[in-house]
Amino acid sequence: MTTICSNQQALNSPLAKKLSEDQCRKLYWACLEILERTGVQLFEQEAIDLLKKAGAHVSDGNRVRIPAGLVEKAFATAPKKITLCDRNGKRVIQAGGHRSYFGTGSDCLNILDHRTGQRRQAVLKDIEEGMKLCDALEHIDFVMSMFLPSDVPQETLDRYEMEAMLNYTTKPIIYVTTEFSGCMDAVKMAEIVAGGPEALAQNPIAACYINVTTGLRHNKEALQKLLYLSEKGLPFTYIPSAQGGVTAPITIASTMAINNAGVLAGLVISQLKREGAPFIMPGWGGNMLDMRTTIQPYSDPEKRGQAIDFAHFLGIPTFALAGCSESKLVDEQAAAEAALTLFTDAIFGGNFVHDVGYLESGLCGSLPQLAICNEILSWLDAFMKGIEISDETLCLDLIDEIGPEGQYLDCQHTLDHFRDRWYPNLFDRSSYDGWQAKGGKSLGERAVEDVDRILEEHKPEPLPKDIAKAVHKVTEDAESNL
Amino acid sequence: MANLQDLTEAVIKGDEDKIKLTILELLNAGTPAKEIMDDGLIAGMNIVGEKMETEEMFIPEVLMSAKAMSAGVEILKPQLTDEENAASGIMILGTVQGDLHDIGKNLVRMLMEGAGFSVIDLGTDVSPAAFVDAIKEHNADIVAMSALLTTTMPKMRETMEAMENAGIRDQVKVLVGGAPVTEKYANEIGADGYGYDAGSAVRIAKEYMTN
Repeated sequence: MTTICSNQQALNSPLAKKLSEDQCRKLYWACLEILERTGVQLFEQEAIDLLKKAGAHVSDGNRVRIPAGLVEKAFATAPKKITLCDRNGKRVIQAGGHRSYFGTGSDCLNILDHRTGQRRQAVLKDIEEGMKLCDALEHIDFVMSMFLPSDVPQETLDRYEMEAMLNYTTKPIIYVTTEFSGCMDAVKMAEIVAGGPEALAQNPIAACYINVTTGLRHNKEALQKLLYLSEKGLPFTYIPSAQGGVTAPITIASTMAINNAGVLAGLVISQLKREGAPFIMPGWGGNMLDMRTTIQPYSDPEKRGQAIDFAHFLGIPTFALAGCSESKLVDEQAAAEAALTLFTDAIFGGNFVHDVGYLESGLCGSLPQLAICNEILSWLDAFMKGIEISDETLCLDLIDEIGPEGQYLDCQHTLDHFRDRWYPNLFDRSSYDGWQAKGGKSLGERAVEDVDRILEEHKPEPLPKDIAKAVHKVTEDAESNL
Repeated sequence: MANLQDLTEAVIKGDEDKIKLTILELLNAGTPAKEIMDDGLIAGMNIVGEKMETEEMFIPEVLMSAKAMSAGVEILKPQLTDEENAASGIMILGTVQGDLHDIGKNLVRMLMEGAGFSVIDLGTDVSPAAFVDAIKEHNADIVAMSALLTTTMPKMRETMEAMENAGIRDQVKVLVGGAPVTEKYANEIGADGYGYDAGSAVRIAKEYMTN
């Protein structure tokens, strides 16, 4: 008997798409047209010089019009896959294509304190606890600082954030810095931990999140960071913040065109600086200003999906955004928005999916909300797996052996495989009486208990003492240079 | 040298071979059969029951333990006096008339057997008269009735009445369960106990036998 059979392992996991390939091409051409016709304003001379030398047209000192050919060329050298390592150099993230990794956001001004239930200004200790929690949560793949510490010198707060992340978790880091000097210091810290600049470039443990004023206006700090990191071959995101109705037309297509024209300008500059520079583009498209409240909504349904499609079309890894909510509380809205946004980014295939655990449109964070998101991600992890339809999994012999009258509860096959199935941790499946016997608690209450337990029990692997000291010296030096 | 603790652990692990071997070793060493039963096997199943209620152990594991425990009981039985054998309790089990659901009922049977009960399973669609006959025939200690439908639940009351009319109601403890059944309903029809799941049913049944 032969076992030859074609198409045994067909692609079989969930997948979603919003934009067709032709739509992506039309959007791409619009970006190219904006770059050639309208151009971008760059506030960093080296970037202007690089583009000019490559054939771009410069007017009014810093207005640069970029020919389409330069963009086309940049795609030839930009990596389609970006690796991030854990603190020990293990290559745990291979972002690109449809592979999704999830992490927190950065710099929330406030925390919804799970011990008191009160919203208050965040402090350094909150970041340390947050990182400890992230270190323990199975489905959080990378970290960002979560909070902005109000109790440290504000000029050097980004150094404190980086230090806390390096000290309290071994997971890969995406850092944010206010000034360019903070970016250099974050790299310095990462180099100390990784064992030098060469080791960090080969096995990067951290990526930088660069925010750019708008698609067509690139601030000096953003370009400085881009050039510096490109030269070092270290990964970074380049995220212009065009906002529909304010710094871009209100339509999604147009906001995306302006924003991605800016992304492509950044891509060209990075590849001109160093071919192969690891560049990450936004995975959401069409930010809006909520015209009723003036907030920028994070879990807006209309900005989701299409930017990931567009990035797949271009072949550039994405920095996506999910697990976030506009709610002020860890409530029904927070759970619904977190679940819906995580679900969409997972099925579209965003790569570095950040802002998990955000409340209040990025102004507040909550540890229990993060724990709930971890449970949602556990659910999604199970959902996204394909189904194996094989002789082994069909087990027709067993079906025949048991027959119509029998049952499978106590057979060895069940015992061997029941653990293969997904079981919740925080989500409750008990009977009503069983649930009551356990205290009859809500998801939010259980999440608070889970956070308390983890903070009590979990001990993240510490940095070696001399390394931690050397890292801290970077912060001290920055402060003495103020 | 094997001890009762080893036996308890083997029950929790569902290790049938280890259970059989340990029992033989204990018997050879002169440990009384009753002690092996109570402080080894039943002690182990008590822990399994607790772990099931706290959701630390999953049903297939519990059944594995129950199966392994039953194999141990088979070895011990000839060594026990009739009185000791009877102490574990005889249970009549069935899904009430008109109701064909048996998954929950079967689970209860396997767990009750694991807990040391002699279970006479009447199957599904069991008439009140059939329950009464079985109680008389087997001199049962406990009757356990299951129903999944609100439409068949009233048969529990009818079965209670049939026991009453046959004059055997006071001889047995009556335990009811199934999705639509509630503690309140159990009280209304005059049942002795209500198990909200298979594990709690076993716990209550064991309480009846020790009191």
